[in-house]
Amino acid sequence: MTNKKMNIMKIKYNYALLLCFITTSLIAQIDRSQMPKPGPPPEINLGVPDTFEMDNGLEVMVVEDHKLPRVAVRLIIDNKPHAEKIHGTASLTSALMGTGTKNMSKDKYNEEIEFLGATVNLGSEFAYASSLKKYFPRIFELMADGALNPVFTQEEFEAEKTKLIEGLKADAKSVSAVANRVSSVLAYSKNHPYGQYTTEESVEKITLDDVKNYYRNFFVPGNAYMAFIGDIDKNEAKKLVENYFRDWKDETAPEFTLPKPKKAQYRQINFVNMPNAVQSEIIAQNTVDLQMSDEDYFPLLIANQILGGSSLGTYLNMNLREDKGYTYGSYSRIGADRYASRFRAVASVRNEVTDSSVVEVLKEIKRIRTEPVDAQKLEDTKKKFAGNFVLRLEQPSTVANYALNIRTENLPEDFYKTYLQKINAVTQEDVQRVAAKYFDIDHLQIVVAGKGSEVVENLEKVEFEGKPVPVLYYDKYGNKTDKPEFNKPLPEGVSVQTVFDDYIKAIGGKEKVEAIDNAIMKGKMNAMGQSIDVEMVSTQDDEFFMQMSMPGMTIMKTVFDGESGYSEQQGQRKDMTPEEVEQTKLTSGVFPELKDTSAFELVAIESTEQGDAYVIQSSEKKKTFYSVETGLKIKDVEVMEQMGRTMESTTKYMDYKPVNGVLFPHTVIQSAGPQNFEIKMDKIMLNQDIPADKFQ
Amino acid sequence: MKKQTIISMLMGLFVVATQAQEIDYETYELTNGLDVILHQDNSAPVVTVGVMYHVGGKDGKKDRSGFAHFFEHLLFEGTENIERGEWFNIVSANGGTNNANTSQDRTYYYETFPSNALELGLWMESERMLHPVINQIGVDTQNEVVKEEKRTNYDNRPYGNWAIMVNKNLFDKHPYKNPNIGYMEDLDAATLDEFKAFFDKYYGPNNATLVVAGDINMGKTIKMIKDYFGPIPRGQEVKRDKIQEDIIENKIEVTAYDSNIQIPLKVFAYRTPSMKDRDAYVLDMISQVLSGGKTSRLYKRMVDDDKIALQVLAFNRSLEDYGTYIVGALPLGDNSLEKLAAVMDEEIEKIKTELISEKEYEKLQNTFENRFVNSNSSVQGIASSLATYHTLYGDVSLINNEIEIYRSITREEILEVAKKYLQDNKRLEMDYLPENDK
Repeated sequence: MTNKKMNIMKIKYNYALLLCFITTSLIAQIDRSQMPKPGPPPEINLGVPDTFEMDNGLEVMVVEDHKLPRVAVRLIIDNKPHAEKIHGTASLTSALMGTGTKNMSKDKYNEEIEFLGATVNLGSEFAYASSLKKYFPRIFELMADGALNPVFTQEEFEAEKTKLIEGLKADAKSVSAVANRVSSVLAYSKNHPYGQYTTEESVEKITLDDVKNYYRNFFVPGNAYMAFIGDIDKNEAKKLVENYFRDWKDETAPEFTLPKPKKAQYRQINFVNMPNAVQSEIIAQNTVDLQMSDEDYFPLLIANQILGGSSLGTYLNMNLREDKGYTYGSYSRIGADRYASRFRAVASVRNEVTDSSVVEVLKEIKRIRTEPVDAQKLEDTKKKFAGNFVLRLEQPSTVANYALNIRTENLPEDFYKTYLQKINAVTQEDVQRVAAKYFDIDHLQIVVAGKGSEVVENLEKVEFEGKPVPVLYYDKYGNKTDKPEFNKPLPEGVSVQTVFDDYIKAIGGKEKVEAIDNAIMKGKMNAMGQSIDVEMVSTQDDEFFMQMSMPGMTIMKTVFDGESGYSEQQGQRKDMTPEEVEQTKLTSGVFPELKDTSAFELVAIESTEQGDAYVIQSSEKKKTFYSVETGLKIKDVEVMEQMGRTMESTTKYMDYKPVNGVLFPHTVIQSAGPQNFEIKMDKIMLNQDIPADKFQ
Repeated sequence: MKKQTIISMLMGLFVVATQAQEIDYETYELTNGLDVILHQDNSAPVVTVGVMYHVGGKDGKKDRSGFAHFFEHLLFEGTENIERGEWFNIVSANGGTNNANTSQDRTYYYETFPSNALELGLWMESERMLHPVINQIGVDTQNEVVKEEKRTNYDNRPYGNWAIMVNKNLFDKHPYKNPNIGYMEDLDAATLDEFKAFFDKYYGPNNATLVVAGDINMGKTIKMIKDYFGPIPRGQEVKRDKIQEDIIENKIEVTAYDSNIQIPLKVFAYRTPSMKDRDAYVLDMISQVLSGGKTSRLYKRMVDDDKIALQVLAFNRSLEDYGTYIVGALPLGDNSLEKLAAVMDEEIEKIKTELISEKEYEKLQNTFENRFVNSNSSVQGIASSLATYHTLYGDVSLINNEIEIYRSITREEILEVAKKYLQDNKRLEMDYLPENDK
């Protein structure tokens, strides 16, 4: 009895154990070598906004989303692109909107909006407002007031004008801003609104009346759309629009004929010199005639995605970024604008690989034109579009954007309902066909903005399919120029001797300079919040002494007696190597330019921040730059080894002032990497008695 | 008195509003130490899977800066089951998007997918945690890519290096002094073994938080998480010692140059407390008073009224160990940096000596409420906030309650905190100049 019972219990127990085992082994059974397959695609619910139209032509849509207690509204005026009478007028009009209305001063207006923690943005062809639901009726009223009753005063006009000009200055040296501007000019021409740009000079010419006229002509309801998104319903929205936009006078903006963009005659590199660039911006482009309603639109979306869309797995990124490490990212874009569009492939790459990058971009464009895309890759790309379509549905603004596109881009009503169907219908042949048609490799303009002295020599050697790609030169505004002189051949008759002679002449003439036997320079520099004393002594017998110190301590010191020397840093003494002795002999002395020139070599003319300069080498590792214009010494650049890595150290000479009739630089800036040390000379003394042991 | 009533009535409204958008979440820990946070929201078929590792720019050895950011690149190179270069293709082929970001304190990797690919996302992140491939090819390639990133985002960009120069001069001992992207010579000198050791030290499940947010089924998700992350072995214990900085005794003055700019920038920078400190929240409010919007004090005075500045800035950049509070301006026209500095000083002095007005105070409350409502508007954003509150603040409930901290800050407290931190002998003053001015 007992025994039997126990047996049963044991069996039960074992069974339980077994069950347990099965469950755990089920858990352990996931096979991570297999990528999990996604489940059935989620259902897509594409909402449709409520719409109504006002008598003055304004079309309104409302997308309800009650998840968060907030509402946003956007007004866009879909005018045809138009040339401004003077470039910058639209920007200035935008900047002036919101600087006061017929009912409120600017301060009151801004204060109330910000007091409510809300946002109102106004522009020459748009308006936007968002706030918590509880404040929205008032915010909408304020937006309407700013949009429809603006006051443009001379005072605000002058202030915004100054700001606009300063803003242009802030961008003047931005390599990417310049590359973008030049690429637009070259693609569309300066006669097309898309190729126009604002300059300081154009802004200076704009008058207050230009702004008023611009507003009057273009802020009109004829082509206007308004979209409400958020915690609001159609009736509430309607009441608001009727209250505040009913009196907006029914008018339509003037229309102008637009010139048709032309393609480049042949494949070319369009180079813009940016001496400050540490990377080249490459924009390879051609204009295209494409609209969203064209049947090529969907195949092109896919072709562009595979070539260089928003993913790191594209042809361009897998080559230029992941394989070669030339760039942080390389992308392509295809526009589908009603008025003018272009195809672009872009990359920001380091100077040394600019030419190679151009070639690799061309190779990838050629590849998508000539090789059928891998079937799996095509399938994956379609799935990407499907997934992204789903992800976008999370944001209620998507519904509004789609409805807006259908109206402004003249699309069929079911354009987005059939979007995924049309994506799925794209074939390998379609991709290759549209790539060949729209990515026009034979007429590409390859705009490169970069540092000419470092990249042009190799860019001019770029060949593709055995044919050279000619390099044409442009200024920062897309005007054609002669080849700038960063690599210009040295003019006849210029030699190390003439450069040195010019320098001596520039600082005071041979007679005065030769009368100087020694110089003592004393100055100060700031580092880490400390003031450091600097003393430099040099003689025409090549003796040299330099010391940096703070009260009570020497930080570093370098001494050279004409034949040997050493440097000392925090008590550590290091003797000069024979190589360093040779180098120091060449470049020491009050004026090394008085020395025999045979050890120096004139290597180039380079453009620098201070204009063109002759470059003279005293060794592989040291170059000195002399201004072509003034003859003065601009800087020394020395290559140093540090922790196994080579880096450049630059010493700049500036603020030349006479001492006993000879010019000496009174500011010397030493830099290595991002570190800068500025030495201000406060005492320079010539022909002093110097103790003999100074250089020991 | 009456005003008080109105404010408390408004407060009543706030409470109602808050409840309407409370973020629900569940947290638990796996036996290997992985913290898990789940947030279910089935209103759109979208899901985000993210892993936040408690490792950032500040972690690692001396002379090896930039490792965490480097790993942000390296851990996309592939795993034992995901071939090199395939990561992005897999995400994209399943309709997802992915990215990663690194701060001085933490690194966050995430994918957002249509919700039918949730399991895929869990598999990918567990692959990355369990057995990523870290080899010389990957290190060499990403070394070049990171250098290009540095050129693109810092060296070739106007004003790209100013924040780096601030940290370099404001911190002396703490690794916050190093750029998050690291010094290139440190990365060049690093060996493959050092990278592997760094992974072993910081990327175990016990130093990570997994967050899954969006269109999920709780039961199924919990099971899948156990399947994919359960078998990952626990890593080393990560010890965190905060490196103490000495108090700044004397004003630090610095000049730096940028070859990509034409308009200089004047900056005052103060060292401030950890983001977890209540004072950090107060400093957020102070920066809003000084430069948030066109009617803020600095903007109104310097840009609008006196027309001496093109732009002003004031912000509190809080980190885990310390923060930096920055006030700065770009001059308009020929106005000197000295002039900007004098006006900035006057306004700073004012906020240290006079209470902000009641109206400014109400405006602050409205602004922070608006910010709060907008902060949780996508599952991707919610996922990242949940992970951040857990990893750095140690308190997930802040996603719903942080607004209460702002609400409880008084005008008096604003005055006290301004006095405490905005001292001119304890700050960095930097002139950030165009290279041409040298």
